[in-house]
Amino acid sequence: MNQKNNLIIGIIIAFLVAASINVDANPIEFFEGLPNLAIVAEEMTEVEPKLFETAFWSMFETIQMAFIGTVVGVAISLPLSMLAARNLNSKYVYGPVRALLAAIRTFPSILWAILFVIMVGLGPFAGVLALIMYTVGFVAKLQYEAIETIDSDPMDAVGSIGVSKWQLIRYVVLPESAPHLLSQMLYMFDYNVRQSSILGLVGAGGIGFYIINYIKFFEYGKVAVFMLVVLATVLIIDWASVKIRDKYIIKSQHGMEVSTN
Amino acid sequence: MKLIQMTKPSSFSTISTAKIIQMNDVWTSYDSKNYTLKGINLSIDRGTNYAIVGKSGSGKSTLLKLMNGMMTPSKGIVKVDYQTPDMNNKKFKIMMNKIGYIPQSLGLVKNITVLENVLVGALPRLGKIQSFFKMFPEEELEEAKKILKLVGLSDKEERKAYMLSGGEKRRVAIARAFMQKPTILLADEIVSELDHVTAREIMNLIADAQKRMNLTAIMVHHDMQLALEYANRVAVIKNGEKILEIGVEGDKIVDFQTGDLSTQEIMEMYPDESKK
Repeated sequence: MNQKNNLIIGIIIAFLVAASINVDANPIEFFEGLPNLAIVAEEMTEVEPKLFETAFWSMFETIQMAFIGTVVGVAISLPLSMLAARNLNSKYVYGPVRALLAAIRTFPSILWAILFVIMVGLGPFAGVLALIMYTVGFVAKLQYEAIETIDSDPMDAVGSIGVSKWQLIRYVVLPESAPHLLSQMLYMFDYNVRQSSILGLVGAGGIGFYIINYIKFFEYGKVAVFMLVVLATVLIIDWASVKIRDKYIIKSQHGMEVSTN
Repeated sequence: MKLIQMTKPSSFSTISTAKIIQMNDVWTSYDSKNYTLKGINLSIDRGTNYAIVGKSGSGKSTLLKLMNGMMTPSKGIVKVDYQTPDMNNKKFKIMMNKIGYIPQSLGLVKNITVLENVLVGALPRLGKIQSFFKMFPEEELEEAKKILKLVGLSDKEERKAYMLSGGEKRRVAIARAFMQKPTILLADEIVSELDHVTAREIMNLIADAQKRMNLTAIMVHHDMQLALEYANRVAVIKNGEKILEIGVEGDKIVDFQTGDLSTQEIMEMYPDESKK
């Protein structure tokens, strides 16, 4: 640890304190407010089991929304990420594409949802469209970053054969970045499932629609049912992602076979 | 290129004097201050098995990259089959598929199969739609399988490239280069990390193909012994300068272009690093 590091840590702490004062962050209030949370928690224990069926079906709708949003969003983001990669294009191509992607990312998915509710009306379709837009902005960015970090050796070696750019993309860029893409798809699906719970807030369908409505009427017991279903679903998706990751991603990243038995 | 083939029939072009690679006072630099190559003159006959020997950092890999257009010289002239190697030279781009290049890193695509890696060598001969949907013509598939048999990897066609051992990966890279039906083969230290036996196996493979296909093979080594064993001509590069060029016939050195050194003295100058 040297002087410079100490100085940097000092500056970070000073900024943390100043920022906390500016946003009225008060730890005392936090601890004083804890008993209020206990009231909600107590009400949440009064679970209403008969709602599980509704929760299950609305979760199913949410998963379908997330699935369409992820698949279609990734399909759109793939060509965009190719155009936005610096190692494949001139700045006149990647510059505007990156600006477009940044513009898409500027809108949080809830704003996209509001826009699409205005466009196509209330319901899951607006939610699906919002998820697609969010996925495009996010995955395209992650994917062009992944493309930029792929090993330049096969690119150079195959490029020196005299192949066309499309052949280079098809035979080097796509297969070499595929594990990243799979990883991002899994992450995005997970994110979209959780996100579509929030999209219900603006009437864009899914399980979030119920959660938001019960919260409005302070029916925390009913909310708890829906939250439990969301939790279970997220856990299952998480477990499945780990399995898929082990099988397809880890071994190819490390350039070796991982025993799967 | 056609003209040469007419005047020099392939039957005796192994001893043809037609120069396939010529370099005249070539200087290269990565930062326009320090030169990696300093005034290299090189002239390689068609069909030669040419070795470039030098320690790491001597500029020998740079020399290879000049030959396939991955680098251009800061000063001087490079001609490959009478064309200037440059990605922007359209005439050179057309002949790029005839130059097999095996970098030290091999440059295999690790997430596709062995067979697909070899078929990459045939891509310049394929149409857009064919290559996009991986619809390789039957004769290309047969050719790829024939080459894989030649390099001894028939049983691993469907393996992903990342699953292979170091020696096997080298064989795939060689097979990909052969698949190009090359006239020139550039190989950068492809046997330097291998054990004695495997290194010889791979060198024999290239030597056989080189004779059969009348290939001009230009191989970079850091092992002088290996170079003398396989090459017709050996150039020694030190600090970006060619300090020596020798012609080899069988186990005799027949031609010196610089100095008058015995084999023993050359060996002492460039001891076999792999034995240390």
